[in-house]
Amino acid sequence: MNVLLIEDDKDVGGFICSELLAAGHSCVHKHNGEDGLREARNGDHDVLVVDRMLPLMDGITLIKTLRNDGFSTPILVLSALAEVDDRVRGLHSGADDYLTKPFSMAELLARLEVMHRRASTPTSGEVTSLEVGDLRMDLLKQEVSRGEVALNLQPREYKLLEYLMRHAGQVVTRAMLLEHVWGYHFDPQTNVIDVHVSRLRQKIDKGFEVELLATVRGVGYRLGPQV
Amino acid sequence: MKIRKVLTSITFRYIARYVMALSATVFLLLAFLFGYFSYTYFSDLSASIVDELDTLELIYAGQSLAGVEQYIDDQLSGHPVDPLYYLIVDADGNKVAGNLPESPIYREFSRGWMGFQLGLLEWDGSAEAEFLARPTVLGDGLKAVVAGNYADAVEKTELVFRTLFRAMIATLILGLTGGFISASSTLDRIERLKTELSTVIRGGPGQRLQVGRELGSVRELAVMMNDILDQMESLMQGVRKVSDNIAHDLRTPLTRMRNHLSQLRSSLDTATEDEVTGIIEECDELLASFNALLRISALEAGSALAGGAEVELSQLLRDVVELYEPVADEKGVTLRLDSTQLQLCKGEADLLFQLFANLVDNAVKYTPEHGTVEVRLQLRPVQGTGEYVHSIIVADSGPGISPAERKNVFRRFYRVEASRGEQPGHGLGLSLVQAIVQYHRGTIELGSNNPGLLVKVKLPQIIA
Repeated sequence: MNVLLIEDDKDVGGFICSELLAAGHSCVHKHNGEDGLREARNGDHDVLVVDRMLPLMDGITLIKTLRNDGFSTPILVLSALAEVDDRVRGLHSGADDYLTKPFSMAELLARLEVMHRRASTPTSGEVTSLEVGDLRMDLLKQEVSRGEVALNLQPREYKLLEYLMRHAGQVVTRAMLLEHVWGYHFDPQTNVIDVHVSRLRQKIDKGFEVELLATVRGVGYRLGPQV
Repeated sequence: MKIRKVLTSITFRYIARYVMALSATVFLLLAFLFGYFSYTYFSDLSASIVDELDTLELIYAGQSLAGVEQYIDDQLSGHPVDPLYYLIVDADGNKVAGNLPESPIYREFSRGWMGFQLGLLEWDGSAEAEFLARPTVLGDGLKAVVAGNYADAVEKTELVFRTLFRAMIATLILGLTGGFISASSTLDRIERLKTELSTVIRGGPGQRLQVGRELGSVRELAVMMNDILDQMESLMQGVRKVSDNIAHDLRTPLTRMRNHLSQLRSSLDTATEDEVTGIIEECDELLASFNALLRISALEAGSALAGGAEVELSQLLRDVVELYEPVADEKGVTLRLDSTQLQLCKGEADLLFQLFANLVDNAVKYTPEHGTVEVRLQLRPVQGTGEYVHSIIVADSGPGISPAERKNVFRRFYRVEASRGEQPGHGLGLSLVQAIVQYHRGTIELGSNNPGLLVKVKLPQIIA
């Protein structure tokens, strides 16, 4: 994954880049809005990580400019939390995701990978079913089965599983689950999500030989045949 | 209630005490005067009676009965200012001379004095006159009685004293009424000050007292209180600023540290890895605290919500309840939602979700097994305005919060003593809740659910 990072803070930028490199990705680091815009137009990048506040051209203007040009590469906005509706404005400008500083590198990586995967695997036509190992979800009938066994899921469990199956093999963080399965961006005081996930795990993994839903410590979850 | 308040006010008590003392003094003075007056009057009267008896005895000794009769006639026709009354009786008790009836019913006084009452024709025959009398023996079986009428004098004195007494009562009433009025006006001003102060206390550090035009100490007091509030606010802002700066500046190195640790973790053996994971989790908690702190500050510093999207509260609450249902279930706590109608509210859905998630999270956390947490959504009219507010109640059956603690729990990092150490959390949950409520121009109240805690959030139906 080729990442273009536009971030004026040298420390933070350097750290993100080195982490991306360590994770096996490549990283180009630009320090201001204008350089970033030029690089984005010329270079070939899979995802962009743009800081909200940048010298010469701020992040929101940069994203709007790119989107007006028909630029379709996924963009993630980074922001040091300041204004209440920052997130909404960030997403309105055309960004695909938004992350508040400080964030954990694992969270950023998970989000970048999800964004990248979504952009690089163009869905040909309507998907009517999802499959992970012997787990199968019929999106039309809204039925889930594992092997020969039909699974009876609550509506929210169904949505949770759907999101996990759509991102099978990828690490999905708790914050991502809250945002996409529940539709709210908020900061839970306790691990409410874990209880939901463990209930889902009870239904899809209990009694089966292969465990599909794994916990990635300190980060989140991953659904898929474990390697 | 108000009358009671005025009556117990310092001003009224002071004035009342003063008026009472004044009246008591006047009363004592009057009593003294009365005593003095009576004493002199009666000693004068008795002296003149004794004199007259002496005169009669002298005349009788010199001129016998005819002289006495002549003297009495002279005295009676002379119309003196304070006439004396006479009676001369012979040994058989028959009247010989004088203008008193023969045998009035005498009351024996001490030392030879007598008193009696008579109806006198002079006073329309109806008035009862009081007489002081003294008998003497003239000789040859003749007895003389000389009497003085004191009813007139008593009546005059009574009139004077009655008038004075009425005046005293009037003074007392007027004094107390005046005291009441001035006390209630003072009380009104203080009461106004109190109402304003309580709005200041409730409304946060930005509120000030209204300084009226009327001069006086109450106004000066209000000005001084405002000065104190100014100082307090700037101090508070200073402290907040410092804590925000600390949070802000510590976030970056902490994040870096956390990230380095997570980098390190991958190259470690299992035992050490677990330890490092523990450290990372603690870093995350610290970071979460900092973030919450900065979010609260951002919410408080920013102007209140303008516009915002339409949020359907019953759906939002359903989502909150649904999110916490499994947690409650695992604890054996029943989580119920009671909302019947769609209720639209303007606001930030994410913030509102955070608000109610924090409340439900707390409620579930503090409710013991087999307890109940109830979330209720209602539309309530605001008295006298025709407007409505969304009323959201989160009630649990946990230990609740004592009334004394209720104000404190909204303070940053404040934790109820009993829960310290027992429950996880950074003590910012309710601060954030309050900041979000205020950002939406709502109010939040803590009460008792008998037993348990009852949190009542009110959000305006329409935010202009």
